[in-house]
Amino acid sequence: MQYKILIIEDDSTIQKQLKTLLVGSGYLVSTITDFQNTIKTVQEFSPHLILLDIKLPNCNGFELCSQIRAFSDVPIVFVTSSNTQLDELNSIMLGGDAFITKPYHTAILLAKIASLLNRVYGREPLERLEWKGVALHLEKGILEYGTQKMEITKNEMKILYYLFKNAGKICSRSDIIDFLWDYQVYVDDNTLSVNITRIRDKLSSMGITDFIKTKHRQGYMI
Amino acid sequence: MNGKKYLENQIPVFCIHLLGMCLLSLFLLAVGNTIHSVLFIFFLWILLFGCSVFYFYRKRKKELNSLIELAEQLEECYLLPEIMKVPSRAEEEVFYQLMKKCERSMLEKIGNIQRERKEYKEYIEQWVHEVKTPITAIKLLCENQKNSFSRELLTELEQINHFTEQALYYARSEQVEKDYRICEVDLEEIVHAAISDYKYLLRQKHAEITVDVMKIHVYTDEKWVRFILNQIIGNAVKYCIEEPKLQFFISKRDNLVILSVQDNGIGIAKGDLPRIFDKGFTGENGRIMHSSTGIGLYLCKRLCDKIGIGLQVNSTEKGTTIMLCFSVNDYIKEIQI
Repeated sequence: MQYKILIIEDDSTIQKQLKTLLVGSGYLVSTITDFQNTIKTVQEFSPHLILLDIKLPNCNGFELCSQIRAFSDVPIVFVTSSNTQLDELNSIMLGGDAFITKPYHTAILLAKIASLLNRVYGREPLERLEWKGVALHLEKGILEYGTQKMEITKNEMKILYYLFKNAGKICSRSDIIDFLWDYQVYVDDNTLSVNITRIRDKLSSMGITDFIKTKHRQGYMI
Repeated sequence: MNGKKYLENQIPVFCIHLLGMCLLSLFLLAVGNTIHSVLFIFFLWILLFGCSVFYFYRKRKKELNSLIELAEQLEECYLLPEIMKVPSRAEEEVFYQLMKKCERSMLEKIGNIQRERKEYKEYIEQWVHEVKTPITAIKLLCENQKNSFSRELLTELEQINHFTEQALYYARSEQVEKDYRICEVDLEEIVHAAISDYKYLLRQKHAEITVDVMKIHVYTDEKWVRFILNQIIGNAVKYCIEEPKLQFFISKRDNLVILSVQDNGIGIAKGDLPRIFDKGFTGENGRIMHSSTGIGLYLCKRLCDKIGIGLQVNSTEKGTTIMLCFSVNDYIKEIQI
């Protein structure tokens, strides 16, 4: 099932880019263009989560939040550029589920959305990823190929996770490092090479060769 | 009150008395009094006059001294007319009214300045909030289309963001009222958040980062500490010739939790160390790097002082270690258990 997210934000560029980002992460996204009938739109679209800006034309996010709360328990994430303590407190008092200040890091925004959705709708997080017969067990930290199993380290796991998520696409080295930094693994180019080599060694010891392909000057691909 | 001056001021009165005495003695002599009795009256008059001058001098001096004392006790000296006794003498009353007038104009001026400052602070805050919208838009645009160009842009954007934050915190630090919220925070999380704020800059400089911060909780304001760490990271990258190496680690001493940030930068000259927290001080390093402003560390120190974080610096030519000392409040801990 695809989760539906409603973006209530008046800046058109942010609206558009946020939509691109969320659609890219596999969500169904709707935005509000007419702020006169916001509540009606919310009722019609019935989103699983709402991203709500505080400063809006004609109304403010706090009012909207309490209006929405009158008929729905949908998780609401306040996204705002104001970072006063009062606003944060207000948003919690009115039933907001999270408070994120602009400019946010996309990775953190996505992580927060995912964890909120998981918490509210109780869907199991992805446990197992598979590509070309090779399976990645996220929680156990294990690579599986046929009947063989191989333990991998946390960093290798994260690199593989990214490659599996983007299976069939070329992942540039910079993108992989960016992803790792978002998960608090501060590697540099050399360390990444070392890790990739180690993963390849492990794969070949299981009899898988050429699983991770190097695309010259572009990056890696599985 | 100067005694000599007081006496000088009495000269006209003395002259009138002298004139009166002379005329009286002439008159007395003319009606047939002896010179002795005239001299006696003369002497008595002078004695009486001298005594009265001395008495009034003492009395005035006492009154005025108590007024000076009152003024010195007052923190806002210009409020003196509010609490002093309303004088009864005609002349003094005029001075009193003048003082009142001065006070009123002073209060008006102070009120105006305070209001202007408040408005200015509010404007700065509002400006920062508004500029964050385009910053967010640029950031989203760049992150949605990552390439070497957008990465460069993101690096610059991180700087812009930090400078706007700096303006915000500067505006806030000037104000007396508090704008923070102390709660239990995880130091490790703040360190990671601060690093992520400079992610692209650190990546661009090929920084090597080690975070050796266990999950440890302290009571402080998360955003302020994050801002302070941002400043420290920014400095570490700026004042570094080789590829920056940053190390974050925790140590405990007595009831202090110390978060240290160690870099491999050019260090701070020994002579400059005591003054690095002064506003506008750029020192030796400021002459090397022309973009030093002397605001960053000053602001860090101010914020630290406000929320009770100790800020210490050790520096050699091989690098600088900045230590943030959080005191662990046993009282709060005991309540929690």
